[in-house]
Amino acid sequence: MSSVRKTIVSNCEKKFLIKNLSEWTRLDGRAFDEFRKIDIEFGKDWGCCSVSLGKTRVLAQVSCEIQEPKSSRPSEGILNINIELNTIAAPHFESGRQSELSVQLNRLLEKCLKDSKAVDLESLCIKMKEKVWALRVDVNVLNHEGNILDCASVAALAALAHFRRPDVTCDGEEFIIHGYQQRDPIPTVIHHYPLCVTYSIFSGGHYEHREKYHLKIDFSDYIVADPTLLEEGVADAFLSIGLNAYKELCGLHLGGKAELTPDVILNTANKAAMRAGIVAQLIKDSVEEDSVKRQEKLELGFHKTIDNEKVVESIEELSLCLDQWTSKRKKNKKKKKQTKIFEENTIKMEAPRTESNLVAEIESIGKGSAALVPNDNRDNSEVWQASESEDDDDVMIVEQPKQVVDLLDIADSGSEEEAVIVLNSEKKSKKKKKKVKTEY
Amino acid sequence: MEKLNFSCKLGVLSRPDGSAMFCEGDLKISSFLGETIVIAGLYGPVEVKMQKVLIDKASVECSYRPKSGLPGVEDRLYESLIRNICETSLMAALYPRSAVLITLQEMHNNGQLISCAINAACLACLDSGIDMKFMFGSVTCFLTKQEELCLKPPINEKDIKAFFVFVFDNTKGRILASHTKGSFSKEQYEEALHLSREESKNVFIFFKKSMHTND
Repeated sequence: MSSVRKTIVSNCEKKFLIKNLSEWTRLDGRAFDEFRKIDIEFGKDWGCCSVSLGKTRVLAQVSCEIQEPKSSRPSEGILNINIELNTIAAPHFESGRQSELSVQLNRLLEKCLKDSKAVDLESLCIKMKEKVWALRVDVNVLNHEGNILDCASVAALAALAHFRRPDVTCDGEEFIIHGYQQRDPIPTVIHHYPLCVTYSIFSGGHYEHREKYHLKIDFSDYIVADPTLLEEGVADAFLSIGLNAYKELCGLHLGGKAELTPDVILNTANKAAMRAGIVAQLIKDSVEEDSVKRQEKLELGFHKTIDNEKVVESIEELSLCLDQWTSKRKKNKKKKKQTKIFEENTIKMEAPRTESNLVAEIESIGKGSAALVPNDNRDNSEVWQASESEDDDDVMIVEQPKQVVDLLDIADSGSEEEAVIVLNSEKKSKKKKKKVKTEY
Repeated sequence: MEKLNFSCKLGVLSRPDGSAMFCEGDLKISSFLGETIVIAGLYGPVEVKMQKVLIDKASVECSYRPKSGLPGVEDRLYESLIRNICETSLMAALYPRSAVLITLQEMHNNGQLISCAINAACLACLDSGIDMKFMFGSVTCFLTKQEELCLKPPINEKDIKAFFVFVFDNTKGRILASHTKGSFSKEQYEEALHLSREESKNVFIFFKKSMHTND
């Protein structure tokens, strides 16, 4: 494959990402076993579905035609899966040409869907040895932001579950294919819902990275679910596990080089099984929802999404954390104009996240730097910590010189990270502290 | 004459420099009459392959993907049509020894696929902020078996006797491209051209409006 226009991961990015991982954080603020949001949309055609996993986006379409069966399996239909890496997804992809990546993805997807016998092929038989339905799943990758495989496997399965083939009748000699208007089309029989769950493994840190980047942290294998593009580029290996909701393994692939113990793989597979169960349910629910909509003759199709969101944010959320940093920097500048910086060991900071009331604590470490310690026990001990040497402040504690209760809104762009900090002089802050304490 | 409905969403994809989802057709009416949806993405100017280098301007490459199956001869024809249009409208001379990649992906087809793809390509160009000489907009006109001209595709595909695709620029309303299929008389062609030219004004109004609201 040509290396023209390929995105290169710089050493800086690598180092930064690995250092972050060693502090149990990811660039987009997810926990290590947290996945990006899956969104399944169905088109107006049968078997057309667009899935987005975070910003990765894939379009799948199932089509069918009548063919002669394979001589080795005369009573079985045919299922073909074809994944296409379009130029639209990334500039170095070439549509219509096989690349190493596309062959690998295709094979993994085939392993997961076809070899696990998820689709009942015998029900696709029209006449033994003569005519069977051949299903073809075309997966077009629209946007490559990491982890195409998971996204494609969800899209392919959802498209298959959504697809209906026309009814066929036979009067002795002739076969009649009934159009969608004439007879109700027949859904595909799917025995189980196998899904790919991908993890990136950052290992080799024991020896290679530590020496290369002079890091003083003890590396163990970092296993990160649903890697983004950058994480994929930095990772030493990836582990793709094909699983269905019943925890049955339908494929396992370890690409790259990593030293993994059987325990780790089993543990990861267990986690993946949980995920597969959730996603399988999501697919079933969304297919069900779509069929209800069709029965009620509600509006269908992709254009709905356009209408709903007339005003579009073209760059929705950049990396979550990076956003926070810039916003905080801005905030600091604003406050510096009016206020003095002072140090106090702890100040309660309340961040009313419309739904989940997240309460965080600020601890100051040294001069001009502070750590935000979230009190929600989402991921136990994994917290942000600013090293003492860092001069650039991430969170700043500020004081009004005069006794004025000041509400500062540091909301950036009105997304989830809305936060209101109550800043007080010492007297009033005590009162406020009490209030905050009583809240949890 | 009935008006076409458009809707679009700019910046639908994060990787391309400019991207747009363009939707044309009946948005309100039930599932029989559908709409045509195309996603377009544009990269450019980017690095160019050795064999495609042009020393005086950017090479414009276009690829069109059908929703299912491999692209056939017809799809290649659309590709070259759109590439030619983009070549004329983009200020390619500003970016010598580079490439502009335009990719189109069919999402849903209800007849006016070509014009929809061209409009999506224009919106992607606008979204990316690449230099253009003018905007281009396209309209499909259908000639039914009853010798009637209409802008909306007839419910039954068999009713179509011929169709015309016209592409206009927004400055002087000149024809950039014309693509026809089926048999028709010269008068019908001229009438279709007139109809489409009138409709293209709505397309440009929509483009301007959507650039405004999406900002």
